[in-house]
Amino acid sequence: MKFLALVPIVFPMALAAGMHFIEFKNEKHRRAYLFGGVFLNFIFAMMVLSTAQPEMHILKINDFMEIYFKVDGMSKLFLAMTSVLWIFTTAYSFDYMNHEGKEQKFFTYFLVTAGVIVGISLAGNIFTFYIFYEFLTLSTFPLVIHTGTREALASGKKYLIYSFSGATLVLLGMILLFSVTGNLEFMPGGVLQGFAIGKRLTAAYVILFLGFSVKAAMVPFHSWLPAAMVAPTPVSALLHAVAVVKSGIFALVRTTFYLFGAEAVKAMHVRGYLSILIVLTILMGSFVALHQENLKKRLAYSTISQLGYIMLGILLLNEDGLTGALLHLINHAVIKITLFFCVGIIMYRTGYKTIGEIRGIGKKMPITMGCFSIASISLIGLPPSNGFVSKWYLAMGGLQENRAIFVVILLVSAILTAGYLLPIVVTAFFPGEMERELVNKEPPLMMLVPVLMLTGITVVFGLFPNYILHFIQNISRSLI
Amino acid sequence: MAVYNSYPLVIILVLFISAFAIPIFKSIKAARTIGISAAGISFVLSILTLMGVKENGAYYFRVGHYDAPWGIEFHIGIIEGLMGVLFMTVSLAVLWFSIYSIDHDLSKKKVPLFYTLVNLLVGSLLGIVFSDDLFNCFVFIEISSIASCGIVVVKDKKENIKAALKYLILSSLGSGLVLMGIALVYSLTGHLNMPHIHEALVSIYPEHSRNMLIAIGLFTVGLGVKSAMFPLHTWLPDAHTFAPASSSALLSALVLKAYVILYIKIIHRVFGMSIVGELPVLNIVLLLGAVGMIAGSVLAILQKNLKRMVAYSSVAQMGYVFFGIGLGTTMGLAAAIFQIFNHAFTKSALFLSAGSILEKTGKKNISDLKGVGKEMPFTMAIFAIGGMSLVGIPLLSGFNSKWNFAVAVIEAHRVELLAVVLISSLLNALYYFPIIINGYFGEESLEGKVYRNTERPIKELLPVIVLVLGVIYFGVSGGGLLSLIEAGIPALN
Repeated sequence: MKFLALVPIVFPMALAAGMHFIEFKNEKHRRAYLFGGVFLNFIFAMMVLSTAQPEMHILKINDFMEIYFKVDGMSKLFLAMTSVLWIFTTAYSFDYMNHEGKEQKFFTYFLVTAGVIVGISLAGNIFTFYIFYEFLTLSTFPLVIHTGTREALASGKKYLIYSFSGATLVLLGMILLFSVTGNLEFMPGGVLQGFAIGKRLTAAYVILFLGFSVKAAMVPFHSWLPAAMVAPTPVSALLHAVAVVKSGIFALVRTTFYLFGAEAVKAMHVRGYLSILIVLTILMGSFVALHQENLKKRLAYSTISQLGYIMLGILLLNEDGLTGALLHLINHAVIKITLFFCVGIIMYRTGYKTIGEIRGIGKKMPITMGCFSIASISLIGLPPSNGFVSKWYLAMGGLQENRAIFVVILLVSAILTAGYLLPIVVTAFFPGEMERELVNKEPPLMMLVPVLMLTGITVVFGLFPNYILHFIQNISRSLI
Repeated sequence: MAVYNSYPLVIILVLFISAFAIPIFKSIKAARTIGISAAGISFVLSILTLMGVKENGAYYFRVGHYDAPWGIEFHIGIIEGLMGVLFMTVSLAVLWFSIYSIDHDLSKKKVPLFYTLVNLLVGSLLGIVFSDDLFNCFVFIEISSIASCGIVVVKDKKENIKAALKYLILSSLGSGLVLMGIALVYSLTGHLNMPHIHEALVSIYPEHSRNMLIAIGLFTVGLGVKSAMFPLHTWLPDAHTFAPASSSALLSALVLKAYVILYIKIIHRVFGMSIVGELPVLNIVLLLGAVGMIAGSVLAILQKNLKRMVAYSSVAQMGYVFFGIGLGTTMGLAAAIFQIFNHAFTKSALFLSAGSILEKTGKKNISDLKGVGKEMPFTMAIFAIGGMSLVGIPLLSGFNSKWNFAVAVIEAHRVELLAVVLISSLLNALYYFPIIINGYFGEESLEGKVYRNTERPIKELLPVIVLVLGVIYFGVSGGGLLSLIEAGIPALN
């Protein structure tokens, strides 16, 4: 079944095309079609992951250009994460997009992106990865400019320019790497065995790293991410906290550990320079988040800072660091999507966008703000939340490298995280303006249930981290 | 001698005879039938020729049955065969498209003339590609110059006449330089047949190196003018912008290419790399190609008129071809020839779809085309695929072409030139994407506007769809074409 991998990629795209030919009798039918389709695609994805034959060669154009899919631990992790979160987002989007409008268009590109993400997770060499990486930009672009306002179009343009510049760097890096090795397959430990680490390889690594870090919103390539927050909330949540930025991170893991290998990267002596940028990313993201009035922008800067943690974990190049990074990849995705969904609910019910407006809102929507609080605490990393576990491993990784400074940075940033998230919780719950009438403003169930379930997942990951931890530890052990 | 050996001559004769037959019948319908069926016959013959050459290798065809130094010869190898198929495919698609569109651009009286000119043009271009005799090539160059000016001026508007005059003057200048080059080579060697010149030149090389440099310089500038090598491209934007859509497609897809093929033949067959390698010419060609790749795109970004922008993009794309030739390696040459294919298909699809948009909406400027994707979704989709191919999105032919250049650059140990290839493709994104995006998503300008259903029927778009399928085909399985080109290159020497 060599073409099995194509099913979860093509199926959502076919669904998207089908939407334009089927006349839905009413809103309910369309919802059933979309939800059923996304759920079915989740099952297809799981079938691909459990396939007995993990290597699927689809099409070979020449030595470099080969479309090739492979199922390994990393792709399992990433695909499982994205396809689970996709289901939640679909459910959440129904009501939310009802209020934004132009749903037909939204769900078309939403489904196409779902297929593209599967392609990204299953890509078995960097060429296949690159194809889907470019398609990801193209398919998410209409979602970013969904509202069609001048501001949205400007942000969209920024997004395209940043993404394509990054992709061009990636292409350059790929060509340089290929000119040395002639092999671009993702293999644990890398493809560099037996090659001397020369200038060209070092250049290739740095160029690839910088290219991919555009999507991962590393300083100084981050400014498209806050700008892209003009998109509807489900898009911000899924694409800019989960799929798009995380595919940048995923690419960095693939490049570092599956193309170059930890040993080779260590031998290059470029980690120092790159980690300066990453430390800047962590600190700058947190500091700027502190004084963002707009809730979504605050979360966007928080994402930048949290992604910095993950990149730091990758560059530590030891087992604990990588474990922490991958764990944080998952945890941050779940937490950040919860936070975005809660903010989206506030916008949906009240239209409030800034922290000044939500004074006392916790009394009116206690469940939503309760979930927001739990997620905030987890992101800060207080024990026994899941954020604590991942940060613990990151700190351990830093200590193993004899870099106590990293631990200090993590702690400082955790305090800053508390500094920008807790005020939201506090404003929402405590100085309640009682003169406003107290009506229950909780959203429809279709929006609330995903938030509750995601919060549940966050709590469970915090209390019982072992299952997923073992899985991730197995991956990182195989790589280092 | 196999049957197919005479087909190249038959192709040219069929095209020329049909060109002269068209004016006899005065009706448009007859002109169309004759013109297109001649192109159809030639298309089939060109495929048969290519298949024969693939099987049995390159051959010489003695047109008058006299041997080489006295008679005129054709040399048909895989490259020539491929070019024959490419030229006939594109011109057939353009002719097919012209059935639906040319009436809008031209007055009734001029339509038969258009078909005459197109068949003359394609026949003479194939003559340039096939002929192994320099003077014979020159005759074909002159025919093609007149015919290509003709298809610009056939739409008799003021700006067309101006553009055609500009084109005619510069193009004649180019022909003149080529003629001087031929004269110089003839006075040195006493031959006009390419392999014979080559033999003579090699024997007299060291003492006449300066004369040879002058001769190559004359050919470079002369053919450079005709194939829009930067900075000799100044005639191109006007001619391509004002011509009818079908003419622009032919001009940029085929006319520019034939002269490049002749240039390649002059470098490799007439002089040979052993001589050219000693001279600084290729480095200059490489430099001009690289500058053209960047400058053409920068100029395209500055344009407000859609067709003019597409025309400037041709300058950039021709820059790639000269870049590949200038590298002086086999892989560079193969990349250049692959780029000829890529550009011929992509640019003709772009010109035809841009022409459709202009024809149906009546708007010329890019800024007026916001939301046009809502009115003409399929035409815009074709334009989008063409644009994305030139930007270098994987699985489209433009990506393969760029990849070939990257490999060639690395093989030639000039890694720093990678930057030129990549920057140029990034610049392409800067002018194609805004059009696509505003076309599909620029909705605010649609408010209060009545939707006019201006889309062309799918039937009329089919020829363009065929071209776009070619773009996708060379993107998905470009390896086959490239290895065919690589197999054909030794026969060029």
